[in-house]
Amino acid sequence: MRGNVRYLAWAGVVVALGILFYSTRSTISHDPWTWVGVFLTVAVFSFLYRENRIYRFAEHLVVGVANGYSISFTVHRVIVPYVIKPLSAGFKALAADGPSLKLLDPNSSANFIILVPLAIGLLYFARFIPKYAWLVRIPMAIFMGYYTGQTVPAAFTGVVFPQLKATLVTQASFGGDPWLGVWKVLVLVGVLTTLTYFFFSREHKGVLKWSAKTGIIYVMVGFGASFGFTVMARISLAIGRFYFLFRDWLGILH
Amino acid sequence: MRVKLPLGLMIFFGILGFTDSFVPHPWAQNFHGVLRNKVLIVISVFALALGIGNLISHHVTRIKRKGPNWIHSYTTLISLGIATLIGIMGGVTGNGWLPTRVGGFKYDIQTIYFKVLVPLQSTMFALLAFFMASAAYRSFRARNLLAGLLLGSAFVVMLGQVPIGELLTGFLPPGFHAADISTWIMQVPNTASKRAIELGLTLGVLGTMLKILTGIERSWLGGGR
Amino acid sequence: MNFEKLLHIDRKVIFVLMGVAIVIPLVFPFRLPVGEQPPTRGLFDTIDRIDPAKQALMVSTDWTPQTEAENQPMTVALIRHGLARKLRVVVISFYNESIPMANQAVMQVVEEYNSQAKNEAEKVVYGRDVVLLGWVPPPIVPILGMGQSITGVYKVDYYGAGTDTLPIMKGLGSYDDIGLVCAVSGGSSPQWFLQFAQPRYGVKIAAAVTAVSAPDLYAYIESGQLSGMLGGMKGAAEYENLIEEKYHVGGRQRAMEGMGPQSIGHLLIMALVIMGNVGYFVARRKAS
Repeated sequence: MRGNVRYLAWAGVVVALGILFYSTRSTISHDPWTWVGVFLTVAVFSFLYRENRIYRFAEHLVVGVANGYSISFTVHRVIVPYVIKPLSAGFKALAADGPSLKLLDPNSSANFIILVPLAIGLLYFARFIPKYAWLVRIPMAIFMGYYTGQTVPAAFTGVVFPQLKATLVTQASFGGDPWLGVWKVLVLVGVLTTLTYFFFSREHKGVLKWSAKTGIIYVMVGFGASFGFTVMARISLAIGRFYFLFRDWLGILH
Repeated sequence: MRVKLPLGLMIFFGILGFTDSFVPHPWAQNFHGVLRNKVLIVISVFALALGIGNLISHHVTRIKRKGPNWIHSYTTLISLGIATLIGIMGGVTGNGWLPTRVGGFKYDIQTIYFKVLVPLQSTMFALLAFFMASAAYRSFRARNLLAGLLLGSAFVVMLGQVPIGELLTGFLPPGFHAADISTWIMQVPNTASKRAIELGLTLGVLGTMLKILTGIERSWLGGGR
Repeated sequence: MNFEKLLHIDRKVIFVLMGVAIVIPLVFPFRLPVGEQPPTRGLFDTIDRIDPAKQALMVSTDWTPQTEAENQPMTVALIRHGLARKLRVVVISFYNESIPMANQAVMQVVEEYNSQAKNEAEKVVYGRDVVLLGWVPPPIVPILGMGQSITGVYKVDYYGAGTDTLPIMKGLGSYDDIGLVCAVSGGSSPQWFLQFAQPRYGVKIAAAVTAVSAPDLYAYIESGQLSGMLGGMKGAAEYENLIEEKYHVGGRQRAMEGMGPQSIGHLLIMALVIMGNVGYFVARRKAS
């Protein structure tokens, strides 16, 4: 019985595809690349039926192509203009004018100083030579150090201070629409109680218990809102793919 | 040496980065400009090389050991090679010295991006719409008051965020339409909870960063010697 | 009726229902009024207040193909709005994977304007009215660097032309000359701008993000750090509608077209959750 249903379902799919192709024969794309895109789209969607070889092929293909694309973009947009061009200009200037201090000026279009970051960057490859693997820590240290140092004051001035300031309720909060003042008070209560819910250094007893209980209400409403928005996001992405199939491939939509 | 040198460099560059916003002197700002525009750009792209190296080594090992799905590792390696070759030799806009057109058929890296990468990546994310529908049906239950709140909030927002919500709740008095309540949820309880979480996260990240900068947190050194 | 059956719908049936819920309204479209939310209006008004003679609009396209359906209509709508207001529009990106998409959006809008232009003066010229500056990694470099000099960070545009030779860059020194930076993002680039650029350089920031990221950013709207926000495809549709109403700019409104399937998709998920809950409560009552 189950087998028959399956055959019928497949027959239905084949008939539906036949009707689809026949009815779109004048609008369907003739671009081979669009057909490649359709094949890959269907390959990924085939995962909805079950995990299969075509899906795995698509999964592995995306890793290869994405990285290949990134490498080529990086070579053309960073390695060539930031490393190869200043160095080749540097060699030309050296051959034409001989050694000069200008060749060590980092702001000059022809300079050898770029060899320093290049050498540091190449240390990433030390990771593949066990004896010198520790050298990979040097470029990591420079990048992480600078980024961390920049982030500490930025996080205070960009997140902590303005967010705390916005939470405060003052007389001015009730200046216009009084409801806005009430909502400000609710936000203040919500921020404080949510923070206490996530405060685990003390047992949730007494005031802390009630505060945490209020906090979890805010958290749940907030997560519900996030869920609603996530549903919206995922459906939008599916719409995008069906657009591709029905517009770019079949030519039904205009 | 293996620990002290990277640690010293990290602290030195950390202090440099920290002081950037406090020292507006042109000399200091010019120095930071050079550091960012010449040094950091070049160093950062080699991190990609490290990632690619790891990817290649993982797949080569899997082929050698005939691990699970080893045959598909060829797909990754071959597509990586072809995309890299076409991208580097053919140029990012198809203007390199490698021909990327035969008659009317183009195969430059832009075409590969739009016709291979875009369908693959966007469909992988589109799959989530279907799994989300199934998961919501299977496990989104109002088991207790808190779960009910989560469900109620999600329902109002789902309805309030689409035009059809206005059609379905338009008969209610102004201020009680799905879109109005959804906006209130986003601006009051959602804002409060997300702000508290954001503050907690930021303070946590700041704590960890200060521990890294002062050399207390050393796990980034990867252990070993 | 045996309500417990509602608990055992096969997941493949749910997948088919979801597909049908999206495809039917796509093939048989119906237009619904989209309204407007306060963050969308905030972004629209902020761009409307920029003085074209003094400042430009910067659009940072920080999204990858995964979120194309949501972020692409936003990018197009923002460039359309900027050009409708005769603002100079500067497009940048923090990811190399966004660049071809950003270029496609820029070219689409340029073509739209030029196909409707009644005379040469109405035409949009790349390099004079709009530019794609491209990609410079890592994000901290352009975010901080543009506080000192935009052309110092982006020496060439996407097509390799020297930025100091492009007419659009004349008078565009740093963030001081940017009226608004709108980060179109599938991740957290609006927060990077809020942390590294706004406190130091005082530049106005707005966000156009995927619906997944939108709830987290409401705290920044309430604090006044973000001048406005587009949340997901609905936000993009509202924005397309606002531009159409005020400036009557032609061109495809992809997000508006998506509102039908979006609505039916939401209704389906709500119906599924209700069915699951009815089945669950009936089964629980029977068990007790």
